[in-house]
Amino acid sequence: MFSVLTSTLVCPVLFAALADQVPGIFFGLPLVALASLVFAATHHEDPAEIRFATIHWAVWLGGILGIVLAAVLLLGWFA
Amino acid sequence: MALPRDNQRPAPRIVAVSPDDGSAIDLRNPALAAILSWAVPGLGQLYQGRVFKGRLFMGAILGAFLAGMWLGGGKVVYASWKPGDTRWAFVCQAGAGLVAMPAVVQSLALHGATKQPLFGSRFMAPPLMAGQYVSRAYADRLAASDPDIDADDFFDRPPLKQFRGEQVSLWQRRLGRWFDIGTLYTMLAGMLNVLVVYDAWAGPLGTPTDEDRKARSKST
Repeated sequence: MFSVLTSTLVCPVLFAALADQVPGIFFGLPLVALASLVFAATHHEDPAEIRFATIHWAVWLGGILGIVLAAVLLLGWFA
Repeated sequence: MALPRDNQRPAPRIVAVSPDDGSAIDLRNPALAAILSWAVPGLGQLYQGRVFKGRLFMGAILGAFLAGMWLGGGKVVYASWKPGDTRWAFVCQAGAGLVAMPAVVQSLALHGATKQPLFGSRFMAPPLMAGQYVSRAYADRLAASDPDIDADDFFDRPPLKQFRGEQVSLWQRRLGRWFDIGTLYTMLAGMLNVLVVYDAWAGPLGTPTDEDRKARSKST
């Protein structure tokens, strides 16, 4: 109970203190997770299937976005 | 045995089929469930007895919306249709439901007869634009509470005051990337709630199973 309380209070404070150091692109990762979760949950009813589909869609979404990011970085490097 | 009369027959149940195990999902009143799911993400699913999904949608979408509000300093959700600051992002944010609707109330109040937002300057109030007239009370409150605004930023136009700057530029200068990140979070929460509303109205979308794909490929 104490550890839950501590982490609930400490995490936002730590996050606020360190957030400026984190490149903005990493704030897209929770959005990928959110989109995967909601998309999986709207396609399934069973909790186990939802969990499996969330991982499936997260890998797909992350992979596609990663490829786009790599392409943009390469274009920027050679341009 | 006497046949039941028309007014004694129970109303037909509207059901969807679970794509996972083929079981029936009682949608109850799908239109009402869809409206409830728009109003509060996941509420429609709770109304239908789909507790796990209702809680999941409620936590995920409201969590993302509130996280976006927090990241954006409470400034990223507002409704504005003025030329020069048409807030198209609000079209997506409105999908999150009642949680985004105070922005509409604030906008109507600020541009209406009172010339000041209903819930104060900090909560979903649209930014002031150059040349915009506001009430003296609201101008004084802004000058006292907003670190980017002081009394010199208003022309005195009795009985009102006229703002000289562009408040959205002040917000973006102060918040930097957090304004865009917060906007993105709240927009995505609203857009994903559209899928949740559909799930409440028509049940899970379902994906083709391997057996369906094989059956289709055999038939063609």
